[in-house]
Amino acid sequence: MSEAPRTPTVLASAMRIFDLSLGQMLWSRRSVFLGVMLGGPVLLAVTLRLVDTLHSSGFRVNGAAVGGATIFGMMIWLLFIRFIVPVLGVFYGTSLIADEIEDKTITYLFTRPIPRRSVLLGKYFAYLVCTVLLVLPSVMLVFFLIVPTGGGSIGAAFPGLLADLGMLVVGLASYGAVFALVGTRLKRPLVAGLVFAFGWEPAVLLFPGYLKRLTVAYYLQALVTHEMPQDSSVSLLLQIFHEVPSVAASLSVLAVVVGVALWLSGRAVEQREYVLEQ
Amino acid sequence: MTTKTRYFVIVSLLTLGVGLGTGVVAYYVGFPAGASASRGGPAELGFVPRDASVIAFANVHEIMGSELRQKLRRAIPIQQNGQQELENQTGINIETDIDSIVACMSADAAGANPPGAGMVLARGRFDETKIEALMRERGAHVETYSGKRVVVADPQDAATDPSSSDKSRHGHPSLSLSFMEPGLAAIGSTTLIRSAIDLHKAGNNPQAGLESVTGNDELMNLVRSLDNSNAWAVGRFDALRTQSHLPANVLSQLPAISWFAVSAHINGGLRGTLRAEARDDESANSLRDVVRGFLALAKLGSGAKPELQATMQSLELGGTGKTVSLSFAVPAELFDVIGAAATLRKPAVR
Repeated sequence: MSEAPRTPTVLASAMRIFDLSLGQMLWSRRSVFLGVMLGGPVLLAVTLRLVDTLHSSGFRVNGAAVGGATIFGMMIWLLFIRFIVPVLGVFYGTSLIADEIEDKTITYLFTRPIPRRSVLLGKYFAYLVCTVLLVLPSVMLVFFLIVPTGGGSIGAAFPGLLADLGMLVVGLASYGAVFALVGTRLKRPLVAGLVFAFGWEPAVLLFPGYLKRLTVAYYLQALVTHEMPQDSSVSLLLQIFHEVPSVAASLSVLAVVVGVALWLSGRAVEQREYVLEQ
Repeated sequence: MTTKTRYFVIVSLLTLGVGLGTGVVAYYVGFPAGASASRGGPAELGFVPRDASVIAFANVHEIMGSELRQKLRRAIPIQQNGQQELENQTGINIETDIDSIVACMSADAAGANPPGAGMVLARGRFDETKIEALMRERGAHVETYSGKRVVVADPQDAATDPSSSDKSRHGHPSLSLSFMEPGLAAIGSTTLIRSAIDLHKAGNNPQAGLESVTGNDELMNLVRSLDNSNAWAVGRFDALRTQSHLPANVLSQLPAISWFAVSAHINGGLRGTLRAEARDDESANSLRDVVRGFLALAKLGSGAKPELQATMQSLELGGTGKTVSLSFAVPAELFDVIGAAATLRKPAVR
């Protein structure tokens, strides 16, 4: 009597899905958008470096000279934390399962003898590796282009860069998990994700109270070593009501957020019956 | 995984690896970032002893000729008596004869220098004979130290033997002047002048216990980090604390700052940066919180005073890790307002 074929473990299945999905994610149409988004800061850094080389007076912010490390800090805040990381989370996180439904290919994955949640998990890993491998080199290039300007020292700023890279990985993982949950639970995940990332989060952070604890940004901002830029009246309000949880508390909460969001997403994928529109 | 994907992963990891490797080397070896970044700071720092707690620089020529200085001079006429007296006594006209100055203060714990002992290295055009003659007329005597003429002016109540100590009975240091090289005058505490002569003659020799401030990496990193400002000061914050003569309870409330740096560029207006290196990240965060609070209040409060708004908007809190910085810019128009206010107030004072 032959033995019944064993169902592979969730992790092994997830790795197979990861292998398939990484290439798909990297060479999809969305990657063009991702390339433009991450090429922007590098181009900006090249321009700033050229300006610094051509004009010996260096950079000025409101007439005052600023060093390269300060400009790099501003770019990390304004471009990466407030824009690129949430946008990548929304666009990729919400589409982990939604894309398969839209392309009507989810059936091919679900009919395989693998746990359904491993599909989501594998795709989440692929998202994380894809975004990390694109975002981190972009930040690295920006760092080496910007920090030496204005008499900045790469050696002195390097520990800050390591903290930034770690923070960005944590940010991508957290936003990706949260939006993966949104993508598996809601019907119009992209709209809901955009409202959460660019409506709820910035709005709640402006006010005192406990609501800000229901955002990812509140915990992520605690991991940023750079000073928050004072670029607008909104930033001024953010500065006034700026509360910073400890790094340990932030990391713990974000780890719980990732764990719970992925578990709930996996549960949703397991339980939900996807009806493909004809 | 396709070949294309594999290549992408390899290129991406290589970029990260090369970047991290370079960063680690820069962090441990400490090479300057810019290709043009050299030792940093003016050449006169080579004559300042390594244990200097505060060093400062001013491009006197640029500052004296700045639009701001001319504007202030027109708006608030300042008595030129001190400047005239200096010219009469030494033949030095600050406005035209001095190009730049480097000053240092040494307050070492070993007590080799009296607290606050300092030295000024001035580069410019000096009438050496006239200056020496004037100082000798006032009781100074000339010594030779390592082949250099040193004019030593002891305090009036000092011990009669000048070689016995750098300090008088009342703790005042003797003042010396030496022309280190043509166009470079050093004036200050005798001990510091002597060590400057040693450094000028022999250069850095750490094995022999002779090293200039250019070998003090912590301080020089701060000097290098300053922009092309025409006036700056860098130093250990505890040096300021000990010289401040503040009550102990006030001193205990001061933030835990180890280094400070102030830089300013004076031309049409004034723009500059205050920078502090806190002892740890926690102290830096506390300091940032305090400054941030003040800034927020100041910015909100400046709404009613349009002339202050440009200055307030220019205030920028920055820095990472243990560094806290505050940059500012004061436009020339504000000095017009101050000048007008001073002109209006003058008759009332009389």
